[in-house]
Amino acid sequence: MVKARFHPLDRKLLRDVWRMRIHAAAVALVLGCGLSVYIMSVGMRASLERTRADYYAAYQMMDLAADLVRAPDRVAADLQRIPDVAAIETRIGGYALLDAPQIVEPASARLVSLPLDGRPRINDLAMVRGRWPDPAKAEEAVVSEAFANALGLEIGARLAATIHGRRHILTIVGIANAPEFVFVSAPGELFPQPERFGVIWMGRTALARAFDMSGTFNEAIFRLAPGADSRRVSAAIDEALRAYGSSGAYGRDRMMSDRFLSEEMKQLTTMAIFLPAFFLLIAAFLVNIALGRVIATERSNIGLLKAFGYADIAVAWHYAKSALLFAAAGAMLASIAGIILGRAVADIYRDYYHFPSLDFSADAATFAGAWAAAICAVSIGAIFSVWRAVRLAPAEALAPPRPANYARASGVSSALAVYLDAKSRIILRRIQRFPRRAATTVIGIALAMALLVVSGAFPAVMTQLLNVHFSVANRQDVTLSFAAPREIAVMHAVTRLPGVIYAEPFRADDVILRHGRHEVREAVFGLPFNARLSRLIGRYGAAVEPPPAGIALARALAERLEASPGDAIEIEQVSGRRIEARIRVSSIVDPMVGSSAYMNIDDLGRLFREPDRISGAHLALDPARYGAFNAVIKETPALAGASFLRQAEQSMRRTFDEGVGVMNYLYIAFAAIMAGGVAFSAARVTMAEQERDLATLRVLGFSRGEVSYVLVGELFVLALLAVPLGCALGTLLGIWLMRLFQTDMYSFSFTFDPGGYAFAIAFTLACVAAAAFVVRLGIDRLDMVGVLKARD
Amino acid sequence: MTQVTSAAPLPAFQTAALSKTYGDGPTAVHALRDVDLKIAEGELIVLLGPSGSGKSTLLNILGGLDRASSGEVRFHDASLVAMNDRALTHFRRRHVGFIFQFYNLIPSLTARENVDLVREIAEDPLSAEEALDLVGLADRMDHFPAQLSGGEQQRVAVARAIAKRPAVLLCDEPTGALDLKTGVRVLEALVEINKRYRSTTLIVTHNADVARLGERVIHFADGRIRVIETNAARVPPSELKW
Ligand SMILES: Nc1ncnc2c1ncn2[C@@H]1O[C@H](COP(=O)(O)OP(=O)(O)O)[C@@H](O)[C@H]1O
Ligand SMILES: [Mg+2]
Repeated sequence: MVKARFHPLDRKLLRDVWRMRIHAAAVALVLGCGLSVYIMSVGMRASLERTRADYYAAYQMMDLAADLVRAPDRVAADLQRIPDVAAIETRIGGYALLDAPQIVEPASARLVSLPLDGRPRINDLAMVRGRWPDPAKAEEAVVSEAFANALGLEIGARLAATIHGRRHILTIVGIANAPEFVFVSAPGELFPQPERFGVIWMGRTALARAFDMSGTFNEAIFRLAPGADSRRVSAAIDEALRAYGSSGAYGRDRMMSDRFLSEEMKQLTTMAIFLPAFFLLIAAFLVNIALGRVIATERSNIGLLKAFGYADIAVAWHYAKSALLFAAAGAMLASIAGIILGRAVADIYRDYYHFPSLDFSADAATFAGAWAAAICAVSIGAIFSVWRAVRLAPAEALAPPRPANYARASGVSSALAVYLDAKSRIILRRIQRFPRRAATTVIGIALAMALLVVSGAFPAVMTQLLNVHFSVANRQDVTLSFAAPREIAVMHAVTRLPGVIYAEPFRADDVILRHGRHEVREAVFGLPFNARLSRLIGRYGAAVEPPPAGIALARALAERLEASPGDAIEIEQVSGRRIEARIRVSSIVDPMVGSSAYMNIDDLGRLFREPDRISGAHLALDPARYGAFNAVIKETPALAGASFLRQAEQSMRRTFDEGVGVMNYLYIAFAAIMAGGVAFSAARVTMAEQERDLATLRVLGFSRGEVSYVLVGELFVLALLAVPLGCALGTLLGIWLMRLFQTDMYSFSFTFDPGGYAFAIAFTLACVAAAAFVVRLGIDRLDMVGVLKARD
Repeated sequence: MTQVTSAAPLPAFQTAALSKTYGDGPTAVHALRDVDLKIAEGELIVLLGPSGSGKSTLLNILGGLDRASSGEVRFHDASLVAMNDRALTHFRRRHVGFIFQFYNLIPSLTARENVDLVREIAEDPLSAEEALDLVGLADRMDHFPAQLSGGEQQRVAVARAIAKRPAVLLCDEPTGALDLKTGVRVLEALVEINKRYRSTTLIVTHNADVARLGERVIHFADGRIRVIETNAARVPPSELKW
């Protein structure tokens, strides 16, 4: 009864699949790995996108912002009247140096004022604990959650803040998050260091008094009407604020937090494409190997089916179905693993970014995409084998196959064969006779190895980036940023700070750079010649001098401007006197972090007609006097910030280890599955094809070891051929991938790391050896008698 | 004629109560039942019997490819029953040349290389040229199996088997897949080698005509020796017809 429900061919199909179960498992596993990453990345991207949109909508994230020196409160009314401005909020913002018993180095905070009348209409706060400050109590403040957590600050805790040169004692009444501060980093820092930098919200009156800004504001934030042209609105805002020292309105693309989130999503997309594509390719290879083998051994069945009158298409469909079963198993695995992976990653993101909520969900289209991709991959793998089945004429299929003709393979190998024993000749001839099959195995192993090379290269790339950035480019212990530019003479005072061994001035200006139709807002740094602490980096990670004349551009910046050495570009100050000038690009430099422009400090001062003005200083410190140094600068009002390079390095390394490190283990695990899958499939197929010859060798009196040599030897020759190919592929892939991951913030460049290659080679060969060992066990079970009875 | 068994002082093979059973319980197949047999050194014996009577099973056990279920098998003074896998492999390597119905050549090796294959593990082998010359294939030495006819392939198999000058030549239906003319050439080679090197030779066949070239003919049926017949008038292969 039950049996009758199955078409006999379907029962045969199940038997076929069972026979191919090892291959099927390998295919499903490889598809599962690749497509789970696809589902996770695409789903995570969509989830992040949605979460961001919801967060922004629920808490009125600003569309535009403008920073200015100061403007009277009445200007707000003018701004409100600009067409398409839906809402405007004026604020007082600034920075404070902080001190608390648990803080060793001075921490700092971004200060933001809260409106006098109730909650902000733009950039509202998501209150985690506590309450809003009482407008009548100047000392009450709300702090950002990450900062509070990092320093163990609770409601009621006190914090000393130096604001505008005066010391205030603040009381924490609330802990909150905000859409504009999803990602928080100190000015000039690229990584969040929650223990060193946070956000503090205070009442408008309190901050106005602290900054001597009563009746004025220095930040304006806007929400636009739906469909508004933000460029036109920006222009109108700039017009309205021109008299008040505005450095120009800017959109979300220049808001650090939003930009970082976008960057993160871009990388998720990169990941959604790269890794899965790789795995689909491997899956196709594995299907091709497995199905090709089954069809080769099924010649007579195929002949029978055709002789019974099954149409070609029915035969093709019969064999294609088993491949589709593989695809379904892989896609199912991927769907489940993708959701699990996605949830785990969502937990990480939620904690890291302090989103009010973030739930991973992938939509039906994503799953459908994964299933379609799985089916596509196995179909491509199956099509060649199935085509062979279709082309087989029934009569030909029913006749016993003649021995494979090796005459074609004798050319080159005959010359070589003279030097080889007969067993080695068998290996050589098989590879030569079936070059496509050998190539399939070689490419499969090489692809797995390439992935290992890439994943092995990641840590090296990171190490290189960190080493160059912190050991060659930035050797200072601390960088002090002044609240306002100072005369160079201040260096005498800086040098006399406790523990300072050596000090080096720098100048930084926010500018707009233009070349052709390109316009980029960036910072230009002025550096002294013969700098010992903060230095420019040239092509190969070595320090170079600032340009004697003209301007040097970071490679990424030069690419965005499409400017090359020799070109003249326009430079315009964003604040201050807004001086505009033309300047020649003298060279391209390769900083590891950031993509700024660089000049020598004297040229930059002359260019903006403020010679001998500096923005801050890099310091080398005596570690023994670290405490004394910190004690002094915590109470130095002229400082806007102090960035501690060793801590920045640590937090950067930590972030890399957590992010890239975890991803990397995943990559290595996936590469291992891939290498193992390919090696195992190849070994199984080689064994199946050679079974008869190997049994014959045993009959002739060859020992198991000698017979193993023929089997394992072929695999190893192919694996060895795969080594150079895998290294080359991995290198190309690495270079390409580093370009994909390249952002304005980091310049990843592929680093040749012999250790990484050695690992990839050793690991691949170990996989092949393990696979060969397992398959070699089959030699013990060879049926010597059976093989003599009949052909296949 | 005298009884060959009594004339031979030391038999090459000697079996006692040799039995082979495949499977167990009600479905068990008794391929060999209590076979007692002595084969003298240098003898040429034909095993004759219908399909499924156990001829191949006997040959495979004598050649060390398969194991007896019970009973004894001795090659000279060594017991094959007592040998482990390694010793059996060594036994095949040292002493046995096999020839099968389906040739079992290695398709990726030329005729010469197929012969070289066993020469590499033999002690004092013939050269590949000599061996192939003996079977009349001196001019096809560098052909691959796929380039040879069935009879030629089988003669390469014969050359491969004799190259190591084996003490024992075991041939399981060597002409089973061949027509008369090519079959005769293969049998001629076998008889020639038996004469020249005194290799103890067993030829399995279900063809009564082929039996006429053996010194003794063992008639097999249902896993048992039915009768052993000593051939008074041996016929050279060229006079066979089937
Ligand atoms: N591996 C095996 N498993 C089960 N039965 C077998 C096996 N090999 C042979 N037989 C059975 O043993 C009997 C003798 O087989 P065989 O020696 O091949 O006969 P012959 O060579 O005389 O045709 C037959 O009935 C055959 O079906
Ligand atoms: Mg038989």
